[in-house]
Amino acid sequence: METSTLLSWIIFTPLLFGLLVVLLPQRLEQQFRKAALVQTLVNALLATVVYLGFDGSSAGAQFVHLVEWLPDWGINYRVAIDGISLPLVMLTAYVAPLAILGTWPDLHHGAGLKKEKFFVFCLMALQSGMYGTFLAADVFLFYFFWEVVLIPMFFLIGIWGGKERIYATVKFFLYTMVGSLLMLVAIFWLLKTGATEFGAPTGELAALAKLNFAFDGSSLGAALSSPQTLLFLAFALAFVIKVPMVPFHTWLPDAHVQAPTVGSVFLAAVLLKMGTYGLMRIAIPMFPQAAHYFSSLFIALGVIGIIYGAFCALHQTDFKKLVAYSSVSHMGYIMIGLFAFQKVAIAGALYQMINHGISAGGLFLIVGFLYERLHTRNLGEFGGLAKSVPLMAIGFMIMTLSSVALPGTNGFVGEFPILLGAFQVWPVYVLFAGTGVILGAVYALKAYQLVMLGPQTRTDLDGLTDLNLKEIVAMSVLTVFVFGIGFFPKAFFWKSDAALESYGTSLIQKVSSK
Amino acid sequence: MTLIEVFPLTALGLTEYVNLLPVLMLAGGGLLSLLAGTHKEHGHFRAFVVAFAAVVMALFQGNAVLFSSDVSILGETLIFGPFTKTLSIMLLSFSAIAVVLTYGQDKKEGLLAEIYGLILFATAGMVLMVSTQHLLFMFISLEIMSLAIYVLVAMRRTSSFSAEAGLKYFILGGLASALFLYGSSLVFGATGTFELGKISTFLSAHPNPSFVYYLGLGLVLTAMLFKVGAVPFHSWLPDVYQGAATNVTGFMGAAVKFTAFMALAKICQHMVFVDNVAKLEWFQSYIWLVAAASMIYGNFVAISQNEIKRMLSFSTIAHTGYLLLGLYAMNLGSTSPQDLILYLFFYALSNLGAFAVISQFEERNQKDLTLDQIAGLGIRHPFLGALFTLFLLSMAGIPLTSGFIGKYGLFSSAVTAGEVPLVVIAVLTSVVSVYYYLRVIVYMFMKESTGEAVTYQALKGAGLAAMVSAAATLQFGLFPRAVISFVKMISK
Repeated sequence: METSTLLSWIIFTPLLFGLLVVLLPQRLEQQFRKAALVQTLVNALLATVVYLGFDGSSAGAQFVHLVEWLPDWGINYRVAIDGISLPLVMLTAYVAPLAILGTWPDLHHGAGLKKEKFFVFCLMALQSGMYGTFLAADVFLFYFFWEVVLIPMFFLIGIWGGKERIYATVKFFLYTMVGSLLMLVAIFWLLKTGATEFGAPTGELAALAKLNFAFDGSSLGAALSSPQTLLFLAFALAFVIKVPMVPFHTWLPDAHVQAPTVGSVFLAAVLLKMGTYGLMRIAIPMFPQAAHYFSSLFIALGVIGIIYGAFCALHQTDFKKLVAYSSVSHMGYIMIGLFAFQKVAIAGALYQMINHGISAGGLFLIVGFLYERLHTRNLGEFGGLAKSVPLMAIGFMIMTLSSVALPGTNGFVGEFPILLGAFQVWPVYVLFAGTGVILGAVYALKAYQLVMLGPQTRTDLDGLTDLNLKEIVAMSVLTVFVFGIGFFPKAFFWKSDAALESYGTSLIQKVSSK
Repeated sequence: MTLIEVFPLTALGLTEYVNLLPVLMLAGGGLLSLLAGTHKEHGHFRAFVVAFAAVVMALFQGNAVLFSSDVSILGETLIFGPFTKTLSIMLLSFSAIAVVLTYGQDKKEGLLAEIYGLILFATAGMVLMVSTQHLLFMFISLEIMSLAIYVLVAMRRTSSFSAEAGLKYFILGGLASALFLYGSSLVFGATGTFELGKISTFLSAHPNPSFVYYLGLGLVLTAMLFKVGAVPFHSWLPDVYQGAATNVTGFMGAAVKFTAFMALAKICQHMVFVDNVAKLEWFQSYIWLVAAASMIYGNFVAISQNEIKRMLSFSTIAHTGYLLLGLYAMNLGSTSPQDLILYLFFYALSNLGAFAVISQFEERNQKDLTLDQIAGLGIRHPFLGALFTLFLLSMAGIPLTSGFIGKYGLFSSAVTAGEVPLVVIAVLTSVVSVYYYLRVIVYMFMKESTGEAVTYQALKGAGLAAMVSAAATLQFGLFPRAVISFVKMISK
């Protein structure tokens, strides 16, 4: 196996830049944001190098970097990338510079910078944590980064957020902690079983995946008391809280609404995917029979999430809350895809993770643009803005279409295979999920109509400026991805094919052999 | 049986003296420091220098002879091997940090220069306590330590809280000591020996000891659970933590807890976790219950505290609960106390650091900092705010910090030993603890001060102590391999 330090550079470049910013003197405050931009571009470049060097015909882990860390406990610093983590790393790397560009502080109009140094440091530390979570190939390392992500996000929401920021950030932290700590107990169990099985403790995910835990599906009681089920539920709880799956979603609208725009973008585009990635990487393949036994429950909750999220979105007056509930709704599709145990649906789930990252990130940027200019998020206080800000209207339209999964946009590429694949296994559920697509169009277009169309009701729109250059760049790159993936999905996702194929095959084989 | 058989006093040789040297240095350094402190103008500084030099010399000397062959003094009463010497070195490093932490604080709080000598005497008692296997000698070391600590707690002479705390601690601590002594005498009556090793051999040979043994064991356990501050013997702890000067609180939370817990672990190992005595299972369940009660009580009561030191004192009860969980797991699985040692070591360092930060914001004779007072502190003093955040995250067991590694080791060995229910209680109550630790961070960084903000009292000693603790917290949080391997090696 080839080894390379490239992935470690991806993980630690943000942190190195962060330390640099901390050491820079305060009078360079105006420049810190530029440092963040440079860092995200460097990361995007590194990620591109990895993408180009990635061998799409292989399903295995590549670019492995192994450093001994805690060999006594069988724990090592081991990072690797495969076809499943590759798209997510690319998503993070490309969304980050756009999020920075799209939320550039407007020093001429708005208020001054607020604790800029710490802000930029938090953004960078957050990225390190996210890359680490996606790239970790050791269960302890995964947990380590998973938790580290919490701390910068906690500060981002808590210091630079809106009025109810403290409530929102503490809720966010505690919800995630409940899940994580039970996952920690499951990790102990996993490592212990691994140590007796292999003779020496090991935290390597690939090795632990070979373990077989007893599972008895003869009755619900027997299934619930099987070790595999307990482990599965402990991991799954941590992940579905992060996704978030109904009924564990209530932290998300609060966190999103209170977070600063750049925080919302990262939260929607990347952080939520940590949950679905965890399900895909650990909870489902390591405990397949338990996951399969309870799949109808998770799919049902996914469907409920789609419809419930859509109805909640429909009745929001706060634009940001609307987009937040639309996230709850769209993440439901990923849950269906992951738990359908059907190859096409699984592939669709991975695509949907990326596509939701793009469209939700774009929509949160739009919300940010509007809030920056008009200082409101109340849908009743906009109206007819398309005349004053045509470029923003176009960008908003594209993101809306992507979000409602119009054919030709990236959203379709994700949701269609999920519904198609899952229909063969769970036709009734998918029928209900399909109504979510219609509801999704209703609330998204309603929001567009309330903001951009109709008569102008505000009288203070003379000073309203359209997108500036940085914002245009951010929106156009997103647009390229929306239509690029929409028309040529293969060109973007072909490197994941081998990994998805072998993932789906082995998963279905494990489930059907019992 | 004559006294000489109970306490076999023999002449000491050179190697014995070499191994005893850290204790002698502490005792001698303490006396010298008392003398140096009598100077009218520079008393505090001189006492500080002498005390610090003595601790550092003891530290180096202890390091130098760490792997020399095992020495037992006075029969099997005091045993100096790599294991006990490592524990002593850890204690000495806490003591060194505490001495540095005290410098500056002494003038501010009007503490007498004798405080340095007392810290050294207490440390001498602790070193003896972790080195002995003999119940009576354990009592003597406990008293050497405790008497010094009683005085340290009551040392803020102009504060009535301090006097109250000192008196409370003295009366209750005296009761605990009496229970310990009476309990050991009963154990002696039942087994014919004070030595822990021989007691466990006796029990292995006699699976049905008389009820006197159980009575004595109960009393000894009660005394030790009092010293570690476990529920239901915890009531002294919040008041003492608040009343004592903050540097003393930090020292107690680190060193006294470490010592008492190591002694408790030793007693449990030999007197409770003996396989073939069926009735000892009652005592094992008792420890399980105390662990669960401490975790639940400590964490839930800490939520409602608005004063920082009081909150930390309840959180320390919860930490005692986690440690008792580790102790209970020792019985089930691996019998090595390495996870306890690591946890205590990491916790002690973070704890010292946290109190070092607090001491820099307290006014003279102030009982405690309230949450309202520290609002916005992290914004006005970003560096100290960041350090305090680090210590709180470490106590909450969040990755990047040593507290996470400690908790991971403790809980994972408990799961490995098969004790899952208690671990689930522990992690769920940990979530509660995350809430109250976060609350402090929220106040420091996310709220504006509402008027009565604290002022920064620049204390060089406390600043240095905080930085050393922070460096250790990060170092052991990110690269704990060396210390884990080392502790694993010596605890075999």
